Amino acid sequence: MSDTEIATRLDVVIVPIGNDFYAVPTSSVREVVADLQTTRLPTAPDVFLGVFNLRGEVVPLFDTAALLGIGHLRDAGIAVVVATPSGPAGLVASGLPTVEVLDQPLGPSEMRATTGSFAVRGGVAVLIDLDELLEGTAVQR
Amino acid sequence: MNVKGMEKLRTLFAQEAEQRLARLGQLLMQLEQSDLVDVSELIGEIFREVHTLKGAAAVVGFETVGRYAHQVEERLGELRSGTAAPTRTIVDALLGATDRLGLMIWQAVDGDDSVDDGSESLARLEAAFGATDVPGPVADEELQPDAVGPHPEPAAESQGPAPTAIPAPVPAAPVESAASVAPVAPVVPVEPLKSVAPVEPVAPRRARSNSTREGSGTVMVPVERLDELVRMVGEAAAAHLRVGRILTQRLGLEPASLSEFSELSRVLNELQEGAMRTRMVPVATITDQLHRAVRDAARSLDKDVRWEVRGEGTELDRGVLNQLSDALLHVVRNAVDHGIESAAERIAAGKPAQATIRLHAMQLGSEVIIAVTDDGDGIDLDRVRDKATRLGIDTAGLGDDEVTQLIFRSGFSTASFVSDISGRGVGLDAVRASVEAARGRVEIRSTRGVGSEFRIVVPITLAVLRCLLVEAGGQRFALPLHRVALARAEDATGELHAEGRRMLSVDGTPIPVSDLASVLGGESSRTGPGTFVVVNGTVSRHAFLVDELVGQRDVVVKGLSALLPRLDVVAGASVEPDGSILVVLDPPGLIERSRRTGSRSFAEVTVAARPTQRSGRLLVVDDALTVRELQRTILERAGFAVRVATDGVEALEMMNEELPDLVLTDVEMPRMDGFTLTEQIRSRPLLANVAVLILTSLATDADRRRGMEAGADGYMVKSSFDEQTLLGAVDRLLGVPV
Repeated sequence: MSDTEIATRLDVVIVPIGNDFYAVPTSSVREVVADLQTTRLPTAPDVFLGVFNLRGEVVPLFDTAALLGIGHLRDAGIAVVVATPSGPAGLVASGLPTVEVLDQPLGPSEMRATTGSFAVRGGVAVLIDLDELLEGTAVQR
Repeated sequence: MNVKGMEKLRTLFAQEAEQRLARLGQLLMQLEQSDLVDVSELIGEIFREVHTLKGAAAVVGFETVGRYAHQVEERLGELRSGTAAPTRTIVDALLGATDRLGLMIWQAVDGDDSVDDGSESLARLEAAFGATDVPGPVADEELQPDAVGPHPEPAAESQGPAPTAIPAPVPAAPVESAASVAPVAPVVPVEPLKSVAPVEPVAPRRARSNSTREGSGTVMVPVERLDELVRMVGEAAAAHLRVGRILTQRLGLEPASLSEFSELSRVLNELQEGAMRTRMVPVATITDQLHRAVRDAARSLDKDVRWEVRGEGTELDRGVLNQLSDALLHVVRNAVDHGIESAAERIAAGKPAQATIRLHAMQLGSEVIIAVTDDGDGIDLDRVRDKATRLGIDTAGLGDDEVTQLIFRSGFSTASFVSDISGRGVGLDAVRASVEAARGRVEIRSTRGVGSEFRIVVPITLAVLRCLLVEAGGQRFALPLHRVALARAEDATGELHAEGRRMLSVDGTPIPVSDLASVLGGESSRTGPGTFVVVNGTVSRHAFLVDELVGQRDVVVKGLSALLPRLDVVAGASVEPDGSILVVLDPPGLIERSRRTGSRSFAEVTVAARPTQRSGRLLVVDDALTVRELQRTILERAGFAVRVATDGVEALEMMNEELPDLVLTDVEMPRMDGFTLTEQIRSRPLLANVAVLILTSLATDADRRRGMEAGADGYMVKSSFDEQTLLGAVDRLLGVPV
């Protein structure tokens, strides 16, 4: 365990992506949606799986694995809806997310858009930096 | 009345005053522009507006405002009785007084009724009236000494501040007793208008007036409340759908068979559309402000400009209009400042001395076009070319039209382009930026000696759009009906083959055909014959083969999330009554994409016929057509699949659609240069593996270093490149063994 143990505990939503777990701060999560019906957006880059209807709002759905640079994820109908300054965004998950508290840092993480790894439920969850994750998804105009 | 009651009343007064002051501004400008010999009716209405304001101010206890209004009213009495004539100088001063009155009212509402008694502004008004004792029509300004000029003293001194006019009979007003309080100030030197930002005084009013419209049957509602309403209606519709699902799943009932349920669906749909429409406002909400800007700019530059508006009832989303108002202000001021010549120059050129600036708004399907036309001198293309050359832009391959568009380029303003009026340091690139932020585009057409037209085209993001619904590749799409020319069953009639592709003969003209599903990156799921849908683009027609026609319907088009890149083929999306999402396609974008993908497949055919070919996807970025085409020809001949972009911004958009293996970019380009493009590519993780080769005429070591620092993989000077060196460099960067 790292010597620089953090003093504050962080409430997160643990998102299963493939065989791994990623953590998103609960403060950024609007809700978790299951049984999602996604509409493909023609000619959109691969990182966009499409759009879905969230109570009348048209929300983009992202391939979380592609954003993290670890391959591609199929749309399994489950997404974590996060709030961003440009509106809500759906991050697709491989399974149903759970709520946890991060308090045991294991060390830094090497992947892009992540800020460290933590011990959860006998496994490891990597904490996602949402701003960096979604940075550059749209062309700055 | 209790304090709260009075507060409410004062707020109400402020709202009423806002409308009256807006009307007053309109009337004064009408007065100035009027061709009527008899303007007494107009003056009468102006007088009544001020008089009513005075009375209302007294009722709510705004004494300073009342006193000020009274003084203005006195001066207006002189106009009404004919002892003074409405010269431009006087209209200037009255407009200034209207602005001052607006500011005083807001100050009073905010609790400091005594801060400004407006004496300075009144002195200006006095001076304007004092300088006028010869009744005559408005156009006789030349005969009058300009009291608003820098040295008004002599004129005023000779006539004294209090003209001989006897105030017109003023109906009994609550603040009558205050008449003597207002100082009859001696003449105060007045700053020349030129140094004053022309429309600044109206800004505070504008900020508060967006949601207000004059007229009977109108209720002022805060915009947030409307947004909230739209959101709640959306939630109600969603909940209604969930109820439908529950009925089916738990009770085994088919919701559509229940008339109550169907009725609720219908009402909710109508409610949703109605709520959306409440956020639409007419263009007229900003035209007064633009008129004022034109007028003030013309006055300070001593130009004679007539302002005309057509189509002011055209409605568009409030947010879009707000976004555009600054851009339009800039465009009209720019037209007065740079477009319109002086009266002498105009007469010498055989034009009427009075220039015209016309704003014409119209809705065309899902778009609103706002055109600002002037009959000034037009754009001097030689000067633009000169400036471009100095900036290192190669204009040799550019047509006049492309050269004209260069004025939107950042940093293009020169000292001679910039003045106090159109804003120092803010060029037309700011106009383009704000139009693009509203997902619109701006174009300019100009003819030397005849005039210019700025054409701003923006989508009505929340407009209800009549669409043709089609199915292609297993997905349903909407095509805006105003773009659809005809639909025809797929059979042998009228089918041709030309230029290596399928064509359809419509009215004797061959039109290219594309399969809609493949243009959209999918595959057709058609088993039998499909249907041709012929759509109109901005300049050409194109036929798209679809699997099935589904029908036509009004859809509420929503803009897509700002997190998504701009997709040329998609105009927006609509939430369907069953909760699914319908993608609305953009026909001009579709045609453009078919053209691009069509030419690529042709190139691939050519490639396949040649042995020992290379492969790889390249993106050539250069604003010079000749350079672009030269590179494309060389690279396609060598076997690469080549796409082209005209600047960095377009290149990034195209990279979002399909990742190239290598980008070949020029440095000096409009909108985004090659160094910035390279930096952007390097800063985006999704693009990080794309190789970049810079090809430029900038040959110094410093430039080369700058390119490498930006993250380029290669740097090549244009003058030293030929087919072999270009292919050699590309091969090296792609790791192709040569």
